[in-house]
Amino acid sequence: MADAGLLEAAAEGSHAAFAEIVNRHFQPVYRLVWRMTGGAADAEDLAQDAFVKLWRNPSQVREGAALKGWLMRVASNAVIDGSRRPRASALEGAPEIHDPQARPDAPLDREQAARLVDARIAALPDRQRQALSLVYFEGLTNIEAADAMEVSVDALESLLARARRSLKDSLSAEWRDLLGGLAETGR
Amino acid sequence: MTKGQHSQAPPDAAEAREIDAVLSLASVPPLPEGAAERLMARIAAEPQENKVVALAPRREAPRMSPWRYAAALPLAASLALGVYLGAKGTLDFMLPSAITGSVALNDDAPDDDLGGVGEANAYAEESLS
Repeated sequence: MADAGLLEAAAEGSHAAFAEIVNRHFQPVYRLVWRMTGGAADAEDLAQDAFVKLWRNPSQVREGAALKGWLMRVASNAVIDGSRRPRASALEGAPEIHDPQARPDAPLDREQAARLVDARIAALPDRQRQALSLVYFEGLTNIEAADAMEVSVDALESLLARARRSLKDSLSAEWRDLLGGLAETGR
Repeated sequence: MTKGQHSQAPPDAAEAREIDAVLSLASVPPLPEGAAERLMARIAAEPQENKVVALAPRREAPRMSPWRYAAALPLAASLALGVYLGAKGTLDFMLPSAITGSVALNDDAPDDDLGGVGEANAYAEESLS
């Protein structure tokens, strides 16, 4: 059944239909929130909140085809709104994604390289991180991502370009190592 | 990608490929165990705000009776009679002289001066003399 049919059934109170929506969309929404929060412990709660909001009023989504984008928008906006306030993890001074730069002389293995890239993505400005996550990691088209972010396609492309440039600049010291590691692993 | 291909590609495209490659190193977080079940348990405890309520079918407007137009007949007849009597002057004696008198009818004006223009000229000549 298409998302539109599931939404209609969910609006009539069908838990089975809503479970199917969760089955289809919870993982990408969780991944987006995880990436946008820098792997925060409450990423699951934040992703859940978007689905609870949908369950309370499924008719908020006018078109079934727009469901994924709607969930992505609600979840990522919740992260951005939350990041304007001091987060519990930030207060504790313990970011969830650790920057492996703490050991600068050690060669980066695959896991450390992943953590380094995660940490630098997490350090990008909110909107750049959101654009990068939607397009690169969740595979939305530029049009879908622009719609989810409520910006023009030109603005989205600008955010993406700045995100990629910022990421490269922040990884400039490790850039060759990272690419060398990729070459060794044959990627 | 071979070195030859790399050297032929424009620098922007090569840089874009490098950035894509580095981005591919990022972690892909697995969904926490039991996350969907926890979400559905939360959903089960949440009431829906916007239940769709079936509205009663709209009542059809009652059809108008053709007899209601019968009331217009005496009104139209009364209007026609009033116009006829007014034009004939039969009932002028019943009306006040302000309406039917010579002033109201402009009887003192010359026959060729229907709009009182002659009087205006007379006043103008008086003011000159």
